[in-house]
Amino acid sequence: MKLGFIGLGGMGQPMAGHLLAAGHQVTVWSRRPDSADSLLALGARRAASPLELAASSEMVCTNVTGNADVAGLALQLLEGLAPDGIHVDFSTIAPSVARAIAARYEERDRHFVDAPVSGGTAGAQAATLAIMWGGKAALAARLDPLFRCLGKTIVRVGDAGAGQVAKTCNQLVMVAAIEACAEAARFAQAAGIDFARVRAATLGGSAGSRVLEFFGGKMVARDFAAGVQARLHHKDFAMVIDEATRMAVPLPVASAVMQQLDALMAAAWGTQDTSTLLRVLERSGKHSLAD
Amino acid sequence: MQIGFIGLGLMGRPMALHLAKDGHTLHLWARRPASLEPFQAVDARLHDSPAEVAKHAEVVFTMVADAPDVEAVALGETGIAAGARAGLIVVDMSTINPNAARQIGASLAAKGIEFVDAPVSGGEVGAINAALTIMVGARPEVFEKVKPLFEKMGKSVTLIGDIGAGQVAKACNQILTGVGVAALAEAFNFAAKNGVDTARVREALLGGFAYSRILENHGQRMLDRNFKPGFKAWMHQKDLRIVMEEAHRLGLMLPAAAATAQLFNAIVGSGMGEDDSIAALKLLEKLSTPQ
Repeated sequence: MKLGFIGLGGMGQPMAGHLLAAGHQVTVWSRRPDSADSLLALGARRAASPLELAASSEMVCTNVTGNADVAGLALQLLEGLAPDGIHVDFSTIAPSVARAIAARYEERDRHFVDAPVSGGTAGAQAATLAIMWGGKAALAARLDPLFRCLGKTIVRVGDAGAGQVAKTCNQLVMVAAIEACAEAARFAQAAGIDFARVRAATLGGSAGSRVLEFFGGKMVARDFAAGVQARLHHKDFAMVIDEATRMAVPLPVASAVMQQLDALMAAAWGTQDTSTLLRVLERSGKHSLAD
Repeated sequence: MQIGFIGLGLMGRPMALHLAKDGHTLHLWARRPASLEPFQAVDARLHDSPAEVAKHAEVVFTMVADAPDVEAVALGETGIAAGARAGLIVVDMSTINPNAARQIGASLAAKGIEFVDAPVSGGEVGAINAALTIMVGARPEVFEKVKPLFEKMGKSVTLIGDIGAGQVAKACNQILTGVGVAALAEAFNFAAKNGVDTARVREALLGGFAYSRILENHGQRMLDRNFKPGFKAWMHQKDLRIVMEEAHRLGLMLPAAAATAQLFNAIVGSGMGEDDSIAALKLLEKLSTPQ
């Protein structure tokens, strides 16, 4: 199939690579031309603009940062796509923004699908991402072969925006669990107990989780290099709090976690891994470590 | 003076009438013609657009709901900027995001128009009695020009700093009043659930360090079970949203305000948005009673 791909960061690069390896014809465009070099070497073509990329593709994928990036690209891609063309967005953005873009595509007989992913760069490289998508069920037959090149768990959650709602829930559960893990580590440390042993003991019990395993492991090793940069979780949570306020739904734990993420940003640790939430806790309280 | 006024709601109407009473000529535009009726008896001229208002005015006041409204009225196709003479002063008395105020100020400055942010505290009663507290962000020489007009609408007029500074002061006001009302509701519910007479608690505390105007006024209304607004809960929810947005943008921890913002989400989501913000008490009572 003729595919376009925009957003060649840590996630996008390996994803586009998998699509090439599966035999698709992939055209790429990037703001910084050199980020496309490795894909060009694998056989990708370069487009001069998003518009030109869309004009030569049946389906266009984007994987960028925020609401504004996706909305800006969508305006240009919509002009280039032929009728019945599909724009699949893998970015994490607000459900309401995804719904608005999908409605605009619908008016012009094109399709916008929100398909955020979970699994990080490791999942993108291993093609084991969890893909949660929202859009018309009739599109599934065209999307499934593409998604299967990229991920293991593929779920159509519902109509436009539903994928982003699922991703929001994913972030709520995961980042709150990272904070809980950091608090457990801090608690153990203050009590003079080695968190490595606490983690080993609890992993097999009811508190066992992928977060305790992965992020707990990073906390034990004091390996705060990202992974997923904490500033991205901070961005996601700001969006969650904003949507919850729009819907008038209280999220007391998420809101408390957001405060810790704010404190993390204030400490200028935004490019560190989210396990750095442990260091935020270590800045205050009894036995607090010096900065 | 020739004065434009846009936003003739509960607050804007009495504020504009005070200016007319002082001998100024008003230039008005309103989305709903009914808003203009109270001005038949004063020296007021009606126009088709904010641009037309601006054409005839030396100063234009706006008193609308939120930042997108201010942007539309000031910078839209038939907005103030489209009709303004060089040197026009636009005074926005709405409560909006400080950063949005700074951006609107910069956009207007590029067209040779002065901008002043001057949010108020004191509610409808304060507006009717010309007893508002007005917090101003402006260049000092511009402030001096509009100060006499502010003094017709309010009792306390303070220049806080540059453009945006008025909105920062208003955000601080909303943190203090929001958290204050939440704390009062918690204290009253705590006393009542302990079987203690809340009226006597209030009376005792009024003489001590917990004295506040909120304990005095809001506390009395809680005792009277008078939930008529005052200041509507949904407006406080909106103002706390502005506070939290700005805190997230700066990476700033506001744990108490964050928890209070969630409480207001719950109040509004439970259908009490049109009540006064002391509906916090009703919500806590409901949540501390078996279903």
